[in-house]
Amino acid sequence: MVSAHVSMIKIRQLIKMTKPCIGVHRNLACLHRAVGGVRWKSSFRQAPVLTAAPVRALIDEQICIKGSFLPPECPVTVCAQMHSDDGDLWEAFAHYNTNADGTVNLTKDHSVGGSYLGCEPMGLFWGLQPAPGAREGLRLRKKNVETPYVMLLSLLEGHVSPSKRQSTELAAVITERWYMAPGVRRTEIRQDGVVGTLFLPPGPGPFPAMLDLWGMGGGLVEYRSALLASRGYASLSLAYIGHKDLPGSPTRINVGDSYFESAFHLLQAHCQVCADRIGIIGLSFGVYLTLRIATKAVVKPACLICVNGPVGSTVKFSDPDGRTEHFESDQKYWTYNDQGHVSFKDVSLPENLSPESKVKIEHLTCPLMYIVGEDDLSASSMETANLIEETLTAAGKSQLFTCLSYPGAGHLIEPPYTPNSRASLWSVKPQKLFTLWGGHPAPHAAAQEDAWKKILDFMERNLRQ
Amino acid sequence: MDRKQCCVKLSVQPSRGLMDEKFIILVQNVFPGFQLTLHALYKCDDGHSWEAFAHHAASAIGTVNVSEDPSLGGTYSGVEPMGLLWSLRPVPGSKPWLRMRKMNVRTPMVVTISVYPGHQTEGFLDQVSLAGVVVERWYMAPGVRRIPITEAGLTATLFLPPGPGPFPGLLDLWGGGAKLVEYRSALLASRGFASLALDYLTPKVTIETGKMVDNQYFERAYKVLEQHPQILSSRIAIIGLSLGTCITFKMAVYSQVAKLRCIVCINGSHVQPIDGSVEQILSFFNKNAEKNRFNNENQVICRDLLLPIPTDPSLKVDVGQLQCPLLLVVGEDDQNWPAHESAMDIKEMMERAGNSHLLTLLSYPDAGHLIEPPFTPFAKASSFRDVSSRQMLVVLWGGETAGHSRAQEDAWRKMLVFLRANLYGGANTDATSFSNL
Repeated sequence: MVSAHVSMIKIRQLIKMTKPCIGVHRNLACLHRAVGGVRWKSSFRQAPVLTAAPVRALIDEQICIKGSFLPPECPVTVCAQMHSDDGDLWEAFAHYNTNADGTVNLTKDHSVGGSYLGCEPMGLFWGLQPAPGAREGLRLRKKNVETPYVMLLSLLEGHVSPSKRQSTELAAVITERWYMAPGVRRTEIRQDGVVGTLFLPPGPGPFPAMLDLWGMGGGLVEYRSALLASRGYASLSLAYIGHKDLPGSPTRINVGDSYFESAFHLLQAHCQVCADRIGIIGLSFGVYLTLRIATKAVVKPACLICVNGPVGSTVKFSDPDGRTEHFESDQKYWTYNDQGHVSFKDVSLPENLSPESKVKIEHLTCPLMYIVGEDDLSASSMETANLIEETLTAAGKSQLFTCLSYPGAGHLIEPPYTPNSRASLWSVKPQKLFTLWGGHPAPHAAAQEDAWKKILDFMERNLRQ
Repeated sequence: MDRKQCCVKLSVQPSRGLMDEKFIILVQNVFPGFQLTLHALYKCDDGHSWEAFAHHAASAIGTVNVSEDPSLGGTYSGVEPMGLLWSLRPVPGSKPWLRMRKMNVRTPMVVTISVYPGHQTEGFLDQVSLAGVVVERWYMAPGVRRIPITEAGLTATLFLPPGPGPFPGLLDLWGGGAKLVEYRSALLASRGFASLALDYLTPKVTIETGKMVDNQYFERAYKVLEQHPQILSSRIAIIGLSLGTCITFKMAVYSQVAKLRCIVCINGSHVQPIDGSVEQILSFFNKNAEKNRFNNENQVICRDLLLPIPTDPSLKVDVGQLQCPLLLVVGEDDQNWPAHESAMDIKEMMERAGNSHLLTLLSYPDAGHLIEPPFTPFAKASSFRDVSSRQMLVVLWGGETAGHSRAQEDAWRKMLVFLRANLYGGANTDATSFSNL
């Protein structure tokens, strides 16, 4: 009935099941038999218990994890494991000493070792790292937002490292973490040339809305939009590079200003969107697009949120519609560290940007929140924030500007309680290239948590009141 | 676009909860004093629609918090955080005498909560709401394992909590409604107990042979728990409702095989032919069938079948011999079984025998027969197919909506505390450290 060891190969096989939700639950069931030595005992023994509340949560919700019925003042390890959509195993762990009443409470007690230290209620989630033996350069990004992350939380005896598999598993609980709240509707958009995914909150609407833009990594990134819809905002994730349904070469931006205007109009025309309550959120190159859309003033967003991105592009625009040349010509600004990892930071240094591409910040007419990770190794965010502030102040518009700046945070300031990658695989041709994002685990996690709250408040003030 | 409509914010926290968890419903960004109606809509697995509604007036800061602010009227009134669930009733035009029971525990109960302007009482589905959210309510926590059991001729389902265990075990017995009812076991497993839901009136063996099960059937079910490698054999209990309590009392006192740590009996009785099997117990009831009464609405009241409580010792399980703690739950308005009278007799028998320290009695004045896990719609009467006569009747269960629902909430919480104390308890237990409820 019980097999004590299940190989990684078998786990991967289990993952390739057609029903993703059941699949991830099944492979985790096998997993917790493999963790440590499972002790079967029918004799008189009081079983410790691990609880998590809520057991099904949204990604940006805190989960309260507690262990009970443990011996007092004893070392225990709390361990988290989950599989990404690609099947990679991620784990985190922390060492605690139980209280005098035989409990451990992650919202109050301090970790003395492991993936994080100190009192970090959500440390097991943002402290996740690829398990030993995993592929290099991984970044945790949910591709399928209609299924949850299924996490196995276990309580192990002693202060151990879970991958060593020597410890007894005392108790376990499984939690689900969702980007989509119940009732959120996901619709693929391939209309008017626009390639995107629209997320609508439950209810009749109409809803305030967001246009959601990511960086040069390309593709269609849905998870932030899904979460915004779970928080009551219609949200359109938009692809503009590196997507099979976009015209031309995947390594170039083959769309121009009119593409983004169409996307904005699509939202405005939607019967469940409040046409005068649409904002734009952009990360990385998405910041440039956000500012460009707003300052060209063909469409009128109600507010803008910009995370770690440039005010211009290094590449000359080849036509008035804004189509760019091949991205690779930015390479003269790429720098490399000792390990050969590339940093794109200087690409967005204001003095390196082509003057014609620089957006006219002084034409801004709506509130702008600019978020800086001070350890951003991929974009010159601090310099950009300063430039924006100076320009707006000179134009008498400083009241439009809010800046959040986080020491120790990197480029990828994303929704909270998800791990940061300090570097990850960027491309495989002509050879494997890793890029630096920056950010140290604890300060980056704190930045994500704080920034998300402030982003939602900013949206509330500008789009709902 | 109406600016006001864009602003109204409705949230329910958690949006995915367990069936016995409370939620917080919050309305924000309406005008102070604004009159509104909160509405719940549920379409059950059978396709029937249920609704509940509550009238509120927004606070001075333009909010309504259902956990703190009173309902001024609707399907319930007063401050009732979970009122929109337990006051759910079939929408107008529905088939009469429905009872909500979720038979598929692998999917959640999905409820739409909406806000409407003004204080309305009908026609909700013909209008557009101001805002709406969707809430999922689950019997099964993630990682709870559902295992059909067909060995030893049983028709049962075992629910195991996630984790290595070992877990205390529960045998879960329902009443005359028969079938394999899984939801209480699923929820108990979500709360840390391995739980075996057992069909003993319509199991496969009875359907195929026409014969009812004997007493060994229950002992085999007990053995499934006792022998399971993830269940603590010394920490097994039985929970029975209605007819299930007859089995529970019988096994606790007379079974040589079952070593029970504690038992829970809800709205049942110790009155039965003590040497009898299920078939004999049912015949004993049917002999008194003329005692059934009908009220003005032609609903059958069965509580007199076992009254008066006999004095003949062969007709009552000798609870004076009980050696494990007993939690007795009584709805004083139970119209189906004489739960109150039986409880009084049990108490007296145990006091005379000197084991009444084992008895914990929970008695609820406005509760009826169906004291089940909390926050599900209350049914004062419903259609019921009698398992012996195969007749379809409308049975009066008793109880009053608010009182019964509060009783369910209180009884469930206390039952979990009782089970934890007896099944998880040890030298340095703090049973109240389980603070998730």
